[in-house]
Amino acid sequence: MTRVLRHPLTWLSVWFLVLPLLMGAAQSTVSLATEIVIFSLLAIAYNLLMGYTGLVSFGHSAFFGIGGYAAGLAQLHLARGMVVPLVVGVLGATLAGAGIGFLLMRKRGVYFSLLTLAFTQMFFYIVYGATAVTGGENGLGGIERFPLAAGPLRLDLGDKRAYYYATAVLAAGAIFLLWRVVHSPFGRVLEAIRENEARASFVGYDVKRYKLTAFVVSCAFSGLAGTLYTFLLNFAYPESLHVTLAGEIAAMTLVGGMRSFVGPAVGAAVFVFMRDTLSSWTENWLVYFGVIFIAFVMFSPNGIVGVFQRLRGLARRDGVGARVTTRSAGTPAPATVERPPGAQGEVLLEVEDLAKHFGALTAVDGVSLGVPRGELRSIIGPNGAGKTTLFNVLTGLLPADRGHARFRSTAITGRLPHAIVAAGVSRSFQIISIFHALTVFENVRIAAQAKHRCRFAMLADAGSFADLNAEALELLRAVGLGDRAFEIADTLSHGDQRLLEIAIALATRPELLLLDEPLAGLAAHERLRVADLIRTLRRSVTIVLIEHDIDAVLALSDRITVLHQGRVIAEGAPAEIQQNAEVQTAYLGHLMLAPEGTIPGARRAAAPLLRVTSVNTFYGKSHVLHGVSLDVFPGEFVALLGRNGAGKTTTLATITGVVPPRDGRIAYRAADVAGRPPEEIARRGIGLVPQGRRIFPNLTVLENLTIARRGTSGWTVERVFATFPKLLALRDARGATLSGGELQLLAIARALMGNVDLLLLDEPFEGLAPAIVEVVWTVLRELRGTTTVLLVEQNADLALALSDRAYVISNGSIVWEGAARTLHADAELRLKLLGV
Amino acid sequence: MTPAVLTEFVLNGLVLGALYVLMALGLSIIFGMIGVINFAHGALFTLGAYVAFQVKDALGFPATLVVSPVLVGVLGMLIEATLLRRLYREDPLQGLLLTFGLTMVLEQGIRMVWGLSPKQFDVPPAFGGALRLGALTYSKYRSFILLAVVVLIVALTLFLQKTPVGTIVRAGSRDPMMVRLLGISLKPVLTLVFGLGTAFAAIAGVLSAPLAGVQPAMGVNVGTAAFVVVTIGGLGSFWGAILSGLLVGQVVSLSIYFQPRAAEASMYILMAVILLLRPRGLMGERWEKFE
Repeated sequence: MTRVLRHPLTWLSVWFLVLPLLMGAAQSTVSLATEIVIFSLLAIAYNLLMGYTGLVSFGHSAFFGIGGYAAGLAQLHLARGMVVPLVVGVLGATLAGAGIGFLLMRKRGVYFSLLTLAFTQMFFYIVYGATAVTGGENGLGGIERFPLAAGPLRLDLGDKRAYYYATAVLAAGAIFLLWRVVHSPFGRVLEAIRENEARASFVGYDVKRYKLTAFVVSCAFSGLAGTLYTFLLNFAYPESLHVTLAGEIAAMTLVGGMRSFVGPAVGAAVFVFMRDTLSSWTENWLVYFGVIFIAFVMFSPNGIVGVFQRLRGLARRDGVGARVTTRSAGTPAPATVERPPGAQGEVLLEVEDLAKHFGALTAVDGVSLGVPRGELRSIIGPNGAGKTTLFNVLTGLLPADRGHARFRSTAITGRLPHAIVAAGVSRSFQIISIFHALTVFENVRIAAQAKHRCRFAMLADAGSFADLNAEALELLRAVGLGDRAFEIADTLSHGDQRLLEIAIALATRPELLLLDEPLAGLAAHERLRVADLIRTLRRSVTIVLIEHDIDAVLALSDRITVLHQGRVIAEGAPAEIQQNAEVQTAYLGHLMLAPEGTIPGARRAAAPLLRVTSVNTFYGKSHVLHGVSLDVFPGEFVALLGRNGAGKTTTLATITGVVPPRDGRIAYRAADVAGRPPEEIARRGIGLVPQGRRIFPNLTVLENLTIARRGTSGWTVERVFATFPKLLALRDARGATLSGGELQLLAIARALMGNVDLLLLDEPFEGLAPAIVEVVWTVLRELRGTTTVLLVEQNADLALALSDRAYVISNGSIVWEGAARTLHADAELRLKLLGV
Repeated sequence: MTPAVLTEFVLNGLVLGALYVLMALGLSIIFGMIGVINFAHGALFTLGAYVAFQVKDALGFPATLVVSPVLVGVLGMLIEATLLRRLYREDPLQGLLLTFGLTMVLEQGIRMVWGLSPKQFDVPPAFGGALRLGALTYSKYRSFILLAVVVLIVALTLFLQKTPVGTIVRAGSRDPMMVRLLGISLKPVLTLVFGLGTAFAAIAGVLSAPLAGVQPAMGVNVGTAAFVVVTIGGLGSFWGAILSGLLVGQVVSLSIYFQPRAAEASMYILMAVILLLRPRGLMGERWEKFE
């Protein structure tokens, strides 16, 4: 009983009942009350798009207005009554919504908003101009409120009070329907789309269809509101289609609170009331409303309701999960997707000559492989090997340029993500991709719902499908999150979020599970947990794994495929791969260069130029650097080595200020620079040659150099061109036209132009042809002694030949430090730390 | 109708297009650098015209061409520094909603200060009358607008291509973090760019004042037209803004010539057609920020 009393719709109904009385007490009119009710309906319908789906439309007035005009025209020309015009009004808005929605559904974000604005203006002008039909700027008059008669009952709608109650009943009924929609399986999908559209697509939802349906539903109810408004005024006028009203709808929804169902109704009441009362004091009430609106945008984007919720300390989630208990969850139904049973040894995934280019860069260059049922296959390879691109092509995120892939004899290349999921392939993501604002339970339930027959149901209660609830709980227990089911996903630790990520991927009941770096950013104990889970899962699902944690890969896998520069260079059992010379070379490089030897003068200085002490860095929850410490003394050439994913780039990002450390100290010339903004750190004398070079493509070579110029002596443009004759020849060429090697030279030159004391280089040899490697190597060798350098490299050979000292980082911790020649001479140590 | 009349409509289309180009360029720079669609652009256009109206008697028309954009530009910079900047880390739609709220405040504020009725803004005497070019006669003032817009576009191009700040703006629109890693602070540049964009809107307002008069709602149509122009031209594209601005100007003007009733709706129909055929716009560049 208390649940009914506290239900938002009960509040709303009470509000609608007392509103006319309140209006009377406030010396206002019943018509105003009717207006509040109508705008409440409009705002709630609008919020289906804005708050629930995440689509901000600045054109909803169009459907409001079209509904009103269609109803008016129907009454004037078709049927002198109330019911038929009402139906026509709603239909008109629905059809317009379907047409516009169809055009706009490919658009997202700001583009979508812009286009809705443009289309509403278009409709405005059409209505304004078609004077013969619509009455043009004078509007459409002569609309009456006819009495409704059913048998002996008769309701004279001409009476304002009677019309109010009729409107209130109709609006309440419509709002109740919208409530059902929002809490239906369909409505839950809208929320998932808002939270993470990509993931919604990757658990099997045809996202476009859902967005279009939401749009049309929203338009239909907006049209209903417009019809009621036209009857209220006995008039349809063009301004109801104008972008100004569209903006007011958005404003009242935001001010009321778009994250709650009834919030928009609060906003509507505030808006109408303000307009009416304030406009009697001042003509400029809209200024004050505008200021209030801005204040809400800046400080409380969840509106008035958001303020209330914060005051009451609620982490609100008006959702399915809260009401589901283990009691109401039945037993899991058998798999609702019938797939013919497969034979042991059957090849599940077959990839043939797959290739993918990004412009001139070939990420995947003719990869072929076959994964039989029941196997646990790992794909490894040094940076830039093409592993994630391969996954992206296999799961439909990218189209292939050449070749094809098959899953159980169904082609999967060129198909949309949700279709591939439906076929039985699921993936998890390297960067955690969950529905952050939903509960853990809901995250999994919505993923499981994607293949359930109820997934388009719009009026049923999403929580009422016991088999779905049971399945979700079962999955959560299987991954070890059973006792955290009703917590908000965002509050989970990184390790638990990773487990949730896998649970979501499992919820689609795949036969083939692609896991992209499931161990990334995890602490040691969390990695064990996830590895154990993978070991358990492999008994029922075929798994393909991308990972950089070589120890885990060697321990878990049946077979390993090694990619290098987009091609398969080796495939076999873990032990075979470890023996494979080509694989070790790919990771370590050719050790042909003799080390340059210690630079005279280096390390004589007592004080380090750079001292990093016990730095911990996080990307969100992902703990990437664990207590990293290193020193660089003036004049030294220091190497930071490690496999990909170890944390090398993050170390540089922390030093340069791109990512502030959570704790620890970074002393540059004895001053602590930890957490300072990047521009400040750069100005102190630290220069970066970043991974990927990051040359400005729209600037010329000369401009790329001059923009970096700092200081009056040392490196000038002339000196750069003297040192890098290749760049002189390219002086006026735009960055976008340069080759990889030219870009690398330019990036180094650009950093030198800053006349820095400490030069940081991030994988300068990556992706370069051997001839260019030699050029870059020569340049760096020239810098020894004159510039202090910290070189991050995966290619140990080249780095060790240049350096005095080296550090090795693994899984975010420094695991070795010492003289470069020590590591250079000890092949076994090198293999253990950096090879496979 | 005669060729002479048709020519006049084409020229009018150029003038209209020129104003659209100014608006679109302002929007594009702001979007390209800051990633925000400035919904208040139309209101700033209106404000530019009103400020010019306010000072023209005291300072003369030529001065208003400088004073009004500068004042409005400064206002723009204040808005960026105090309000917009705080939203950079948030959902991009919040920035959009903020500029939307600003529109409300600005448009009503203008009504508050200057009243509802239109203001008289005569064509400055120096530009009165018509030019004769062979067989062609055309309004001096409209010709001046064309000249002024060309000068402004050239000035903007020179600024972006030849000055150090302009180079930073160009670099920052592609890789803002890299600019910071080179020791250059971006905050003042963003403020400047926003000011520049709003100044362009203001000067378009000043130029159009003698044409259509000065009244509170004058910015709404032009503002929406500017959005149509950048949507057709491809958001963030310099040449796209110019090309599609001129195109839309012609389409509207020729619609007035052939079918006056459809004139207002014509640009939207054009937009719908182009988007169906080329969803990314005419010059469509990929801008991750907004999609």
